[in-house]
Amino acid sequence: MEQTYQYAWIIPFVPLPVPMLIGVGLLLFPTATKNLRRMWAFPSILLLSIVMIFSINLSIQQINSSSIYQYIWSWTINNDFSLEFGYLIDPLTSIMSMLITTVGIMVLIYSDNYMAHDQGYLRFFAYMSFFSTSMLGLVTSSNLIQIYIFWELVGMCSYLLIGFWFTRPLAANACQKAFVTNRVGDFGLLLGILGFYWITGSFEFRDLFEILNNLFYNNEVNSSFVTLCAALLFTGAVAKSAQFPLHVWLPDAMEGPTPISALIHAATMVAAGIFLVARLLPLFIVIPYIMNLISLIGIITVLLGATLALAQKDIKRGLAYSTMSQLGYMMLALGMGSYRSALFHLITHAYSKALLFLGSGSIIHSMETIVGYSPDKSQNMVLMGGLTKHIPITQISFLLGTLSLCGIPPLACFWSKDEILNDSWLYSTIFAIIAWTTAGLTAFYMFRIYLLTFEGHLNVHFQNYSGKQNTPFYSISLWGKGGSKRINKNFRLLRMNNSKSSSFFSKKTYRSHENVRKRVGPFINIVHFENKKSYSYPYESDNTMLFPLLVLGIFTLFVGSLGIPFNQQLDILTKWLTPSINLLHQKLNDSIDWYEFLKDAIFSVSIAYFGIFIASFLYKPIYSSFKNFDLINLFVKTGPKRSLWDKILNSLYNWSYNRAYIDAFYTTSLTGAVRGLAQLTNFFDRRVIDGITNGVGVMSFFVGEGIKYVGGGRISSYLFFYLSCVSIFLLVFYFPVF
Amino acid sequence: TNHFPWLTIIVVLPISAGSLIFFLPHRGNRVIRWYTISICILELLLTTYAFCYHFQSGDPLIQLVEDYKWIDFFDFHWRLGIDGLSIGPILLTGFITTLATLAARPVTRDSRLFHFLMLAMYSGQIGLFSCRDLLLFFLMWELELIPVYLLLSMWGGKKRLYSATKFILYTAGGSVFLLMGVLGIGLYGSNEPTLNLEILANQSYPVALEIIFYIGFFIAFAVKLPIIPLHTWLPDTHGEAHYSTCMLLAGILLKMGAYGLVRINMELLPHAHSIFSPWLMIVGAMQIIYAASTSLGQRNLKKRIAYSSVSHMGFIIIGIGSITDTGLNGALLQIISHGFIGAALFFLAGTTYDRIRLVYLDEMGGIAIPMPKIFTMFSSFSMASLALPGMSGFVAELIVFFGLITSPKYLLMTKILITFVMAIGMILTPIYSLSMSRQMFYGYKIFNAPNSYFFDSGPRELFLSISIFLPILGIGMYPDFVLSLSVDKVEVILSNSFYR
Repeated sequence: MEQTYQYAWIIPFVPLPVPMLIGVGLLLFPTATKNLRRMWAFPSILLLSIVMIFSINLSIQQINSSSIYQYIWSWTINNDFSLEFGYLIDPLTSIMSMLITTVGIMVLIYSDNYMAHDQGYLRFFAYMSFFSTSMLGLVTSSNLIQIYIFWELVGMCSYLLIGFWFTRPLAANACQKAFVTNRVGDFGLLLGILGFYWITGSFEFRDLFEILNNLFYNNEVNSSFVTLCAALLFTGAVAKSAQFPLHVWLPDAMEGPTPISALIHAATMVAAGIFLVARLLPLFIVIPYIMNLISLIGIITVLLGATLALAQKDIKRGLAYSTMSQLGYMMLALGMGSYRSALFHLITHAYSKALLFLGSGSIIHSMETIVGYSPDKSQNMVLMGGLTKHIPITQISFLLGTLSLCGIPPLACFWSKDEILNDSWLYSTIFAIIAWTTAGLTAFYMFRIYLLTFEGHLNVHFQNYSGKQNTPFYSISLWGKGGSKRINKNFRLLRMNNSKSSSFFSKKTYRSHENVRKRVGPFINIVHFENKKSYSYPYESDNTMLFPLLVLGIFTLFVGSLGIPFNQQLDILTKWLTPSINLLHQKLNDSIDWYEFLKDAIFSVSIAYFGIFIASFLYKPIYSSFKNFDLINLFVKTGPKRSLWDKILNSLYNWSYNRAYIDAFYTTSLTGAVRGLAQLTNFFDRRVIDGITNGVGVMSFFVGEGIKYVGGGRISSYLFFYLSCVSIFLLVFYFPVF
Repeated sequence: TNHFPWLTIIVVLPISAGSLIFFLPHRGNRVIRWYTISICILELLLTTYAFCYHFQSGDPLIQLVEDYKWIDFFDFHWRLGIDGLSIGPILLTGFITTLATLAARPVTRDSRLFHFLMLAMYSGQIGLFSCRDLLLFFLMWELELIPVYLLLSMWGGKKRLYSATKFILYTAGGSVFLLMGVLGIGLYGSNEPTLNLEILANQSYPVALEIIFYIGFFIAFAVKLPIIPLHTWLPDTHGEAHYSTCMLLAGILLKMGAYGLVRINMELLPHAHSIFSPWLMIVGAMQIIYAASTSLGQRNLKKRIAYSSVSHMGFIIIGIGSITDTGLNGALLQIISHGFIGAALFFLAGTTYDRIRLVYLDEMGGIAIPMPKIFTMFSSFSMASLALPGMSGFVAELIVFFGLITSPKYLLMTKILITFVMAIGMILTPIYSLSMSRQMFYGYKIFNAPNSYFFDSGPRELFLSISIFLPILGIGMYPDFVLSLSVDKVEVILSNSFYR
């Protein structure tokens, strides 16, 4: 038992050999490494499963005994200060490592198939394993410097993975945006760490909390400075968890491959901000302003994310905004001081959202055969619809995830979200109202995504747009010309059997629309230049991709039971979190009032059902298969209310479509300012500083020339100069009138 | 204990072996290249051997001392010795110069002279870092300029004469102040000129005089480091020079300025240093922001990297100005770390230029597919340059930050402000370096030029970049490698500066 803890330092390092080996192999022996490509998935999954077993073991021990273990080694020794490395195993760490490893394994299995035909398969696995390493390092780290180190490393992994398809200009911009936005957060984090180091002289969490508490107790510390430092620390969490002012990177981050969006941008890395705040909660909790700030930021993000998700066309972006909104719930819970419900929601949301993202990946994968490899098309919900018939298993798992996120009772997110919502009543009425409303909005947008994707008929064939009218989809192939053709061919050959079998089930009524389909764009012609008919319909993904979906679906069904108190005992989660909980002022009583719980639950579920009902009213295509996005057409007949309703809908749509104008504002103000500054300094540097130098050079040249001319040695010019001087002198001397 | 003249051999070997190049038989460039590289490697091995077996790292005193009278009547000695401060830069010099020689293999024009100049620079650099005599310091300082001038004006780009002239005028102008300072310090006080650094380090001056000396030395080193507003020679020089020269310039020559600041301004003139250090901090913080934002406005790839190294020099200045153990250690670590990173970035930029023949960033794009290895290495090094943890730049900057925070000399408000400004530089760094790599590699572009097929980096280039990358990682993982060399010496320097 002791030994398990003693060897816990190995957790982050277990997945590390994979990226190292792949990196060395790709640089030094590229062909040999590439020939082995599918082989590399096994060691990475194996190593991660070892970590998973280890962390399950740790978690069980934590639940049984709940004690905190910390080991420290010195890293650099200086006379003034020493940096230390260590690891800290406490309930939070064990929860997070469980989460990372389980979702990570599922995503790795999934992406083995998802990325199978990508040229960057090996690179992808190297990045993924490196990400697992740094994320596990982040959660096991025992001091702030270590947190900062791994914080940056996960940021770098996110950068690399968002820019994974680096030939896409959008991905190139998105990854830079993500990194720079996260760097703004790191800026705050670093300054906060330095500030607290200056105040307390320590980086260790527990020393830090103790010293700070003592200082507060003795009133020895400038409270505004402490507040400033804490706010700066919180900035790091804001950027990483995509909270309100710094959320802009998350929707753009969806340019990366979908498994990445599931693992990094839904389940684990974006939860790092929540993790940090949870870790530092004993520190924040003594500063009331910060707690208010945290809950304020949380509630803004909750509402903003939900409203932005309302009218997204891109399925992944819609999910991304939903992630942002859910992260806002967690942040809100932390700000309210209900540590347990925040972590509970972190767990349930991670599984549900990973499920949803993997499901959307499966959808995209199946759409890609029809519309081609442009993310503008394959992720566009306008073109989807009616996929239930074609990809039934994905549909079931996606529906599970959707229902869970909406908060429908037996599923995971219901339990956690309900706790947060209940706690919000105790905290503040306004916040509670916003949080409850957003629960309805969540149900609405999630069902909108679900209905647009799976209900009705496949819109690719019906959507009567031609390539000219639409915004020009760029449809460059991914890895250059030669590569992509080869891949497409392989792909098609491999898919041949599958897709034929699946297309037998589908009706044959759409044949007449082939002309329309042909006009969709040149890209389709490239994809379908042979054997067109067998690819008219999407097909279900491979078993390798469905297996993680099913496993995550099971998780989504049952992970809620972690926090359900069966027969008046303490639930597992509470047991798990005991040592951390006694640091907080717990708002809930120990004995749970079932009547209260039932009342709130019924209320929240009814709100969710209301949202679902509206969504199905608006988006369930009962009457027309030609229906497309504009909500307005539906309400043509509603009479006098119509114009007002129109306006509201329009503004809502614009709000969501333009991403609440925040991105545009940042582009014009911040990017413009930085560019302007760059231009200005560049101008200053070239014209003034360099200008002076060059001016001195030119001046000395002229002076030299002049001296050369003057010192030319002609007696006559000397005489002339002399006489003219004398004459001027005489003139001045004799005529003092001037 | 040991009387074998290790340092003299180390200093003299490259230039004397280099002068033999002219007597080699005319058998093409291959012989010359191999000869030069083997000399470089021999020298590096010799240095490492000497330092491994004859240098005690725990001892803050000068070691491997050699003292020969050279010119008697003004007490000019050939006096060499190393301590914890100089061992790092010397090893860096050996390493980078060897790699730069390896990088210069494509140079075929006048390769005799070229390789001789490389070896001459090798001597000059090591001589500078290991000399213990003020006038010898000046001589070595000047010895450095001539090879760089020639390398620049003969093997440079289109505007090479302009940049070479600018370089020589700037640095020679700086040297004038250096010479004045050297003579002033040497002739002060006693009847006999004293040029021995050890004696000078224990001498004290009237404050006004010390300030004057300080300014003189400072101008010379500020040109070399460079410190704004004396930096404009650097982007021009780096923009035009061949990339092997750039590696030397960015890797070592800039560090001579920082070394001089520590060695002379801090060690000999501590009072003036403590007077000037707040200004140093302000200038350093401004330089970080200023150079970073200027770098963002550059279209030329090499100039952008050049400004980024100007920006990184700001951390060295702040570390030196903080007058703490931690800060000075951080500055020394940054010297080493930027030596690697800057050299590697210039090398990769140069090799990329050799392939695509484009200088301006907005014309480039989409070369990641034909050149994945260069892409990988370039991204790694730009990550290192933006201080990603796990690499050396991060540790150095972090330690400088700590030095600044723990410095007892400054008020809280100033510290907060300067830290804040430095940290803004931390945001600007990824903007320029990532957008540089985005503009170069990301995206998709069909090259309609006839030579649209590019070779990826070959084994030589790969070896070069990996062998620079490994020490970066090594220092980043375990900074005590470098810190343990300098810790004791730094303590001595700072204790002198406080208790006098």
